[in-house]
Amino acid sequence: MSLGDLASDATVFTAAFHVERTDLAAYAEASGDRNPIHLDEAAAKAAGLPDVIAHGMYTMGLVSRAVLEWLAASGTDARITAFSARFAKPVVVPASGGADVEVEAKVRKAGADAAELAITVTSGGERVLAPARVTLTAY
Amino acid sequence: MLNASYVGRSLPTTAPVTITDESVTRFAQSLGLAAAHPDGTHASQAVLPPTYLISLTLPAADPLIEDPEFGLDFSRVLHREQRFAYHRELTAGAQVSCTVTVESIKTVAGNDLLSLHTAVEDGLGLAAEVWTTLFVAGDPA
Repeated sequence: MSLGDLASDATVFTAAFHVERTDLAAYAEASGDRNPIHLDEAAAKAAGLPDVIAHGMYTMGLVSRAVLEWLAASGTDARITAFSARFAKPVVVPASGGADVEVEAKVRKAGADAAELAITVTSGGERVLAPARVTLTAY
Repeated sequence: MLNASYVGRSLPTTAPVTITDESVTRFAQSLGLAAAHPDGTHASQAVLPPTYLISLTLPAADPLIEDPEFGLDFSRVLHREQRFAYHRELTAGAQVSCTVTVESIKTVAGNDLLSLHTAVEDGLGLAAEVWTTLFVAGDPA
């Protein structure tokens, strides 16, 4: 598929991810962001949070994964050239049961050489990113 | 409260570091990302995951946290906004340096919003730009 085939306002993909605390520990090691609010319940509560929360960058990383998997699955020959998000609400990750993150991407603008996606991300019924934007540029 | 006189100030550019294949693989795996390679080539070096540069740009801002004159208490910080612009596709093996600039400090209801801009340069010049806005909770009155 080429970027020019995308229709404005169309939902292009949805994705869902399950997040456990072990995922946050692995991301903390890989990224070097070892802020204890993402790892330790006592530290999170001391900071005024309800429980351990996912790194905003972990959630944003899952969004990038959803985009890259969709590009690969649809055979769209493009790369991400801009990516932004505002972290509106935390993704709370309890020790038991973890959290689910749902991703839905719509087309904001599309042209032959570039397209922009608006991506809604929810967890526990709350919008956690408000919203994420991805610019794709054809190779 | 942050020291507003830092707005517009840049930290010294970090020494160039080589992005290792191992660090890219570990970052990608922690997000469940499949290894990606530059389109149309058989290069062995993996393309950086879209959010990988945060692992370089946040440590590049450490001197601000360590600077008592600036007044940033990291235990009061939450990540508010994030933006990346990629001017070129970067792969493992790239040698990059970071220049962090304090772009703005806004005070809202006793809390600070600190916006940082990081220029990421490789041997060819500006390769990517990374903007990070941090929410810094004020002193409980």
